[in-house]
Amino acid sequence: MIKVLLFGAAADRAGTRETELPVDEGVTLAEIWPLLAGRHPDLAPLRDTLAFAVNGEYAREDAGISPGDEVAVLPPVSGG
Amino acid sequence: MFAIVEELLDVGAMLQDAQRPDCGAIITFVGTTRIDESDGAAVEYLEYEAYRPMADRKLEEIGAEIEGRWDVRHVSIVHRLGRVDPGEASVAIVVAAPRRGPAFEASRYAIERIKEVVPIWKREVWSDGYVWVGSQVGTRDQASGLS
Repeated sequence: MIKVLLFGAAADRAGTRETELPVDEGVTLAEIWPLLAGRHPDLAPLRDTLAFAVNGEYAREDAGISPGDEVAVLPPVSGG
Repeated sequence: MFAIVEELLDVGAMLQDAQRPDCGAIITFVGTTRIDESDGAAVEYLEYEAYRPMADRKLEEIGAEIEGRWDVRHVSIVHRLGRVDPGEASVAIVVAAPRRGPAFEASRYAIERIKEVVPIWKREVWSDGYVWVGSQVGTRDQASGLS
């Protein structure tokens, strides 16, 4: 399993701030998206606006994920 | 000092911490909650959330970037979370440098980088609903761009 954290508009759309997904060793961020969007269909329209972090650092969508990792779903940041 | 806090920002204390005998300039930038109005509604307050500790680490990275690019002797950035009422500070940046040019440039750089890379989000709470800034997701009619 991986832990998935959602923030801002993504948490709002998903209706949750945290969930878990079953993943196999070596899947990529891009590959887990359909699992997440399948579970939370209202997230799907946000897809192109989102960035991702793995274990607290920005990650490309071809980044590999391992069980136990923490993935964060990050809408466009709007601090300041 | 780099911090993310839930209480009112003490800009005076940050300024005092920045005073040094080897510096001839201190620049303070304070971002505050502005009341926008549209369609007969108005912003009542902002609400901020962050992905921690990534956000804390990104603030420190911005400080390191600044120290690598300009001759500055002190950088502090404090960002607030939770509800921030009109006119209150959501972010404060204080830079001290021997010369004013680098201090101005570094403080501008800090706020622009915060808006690019630090995982913090704000929600505008209006009299007629809310909107996540940057995503246009929310309960206002104007927030329906992605639905």
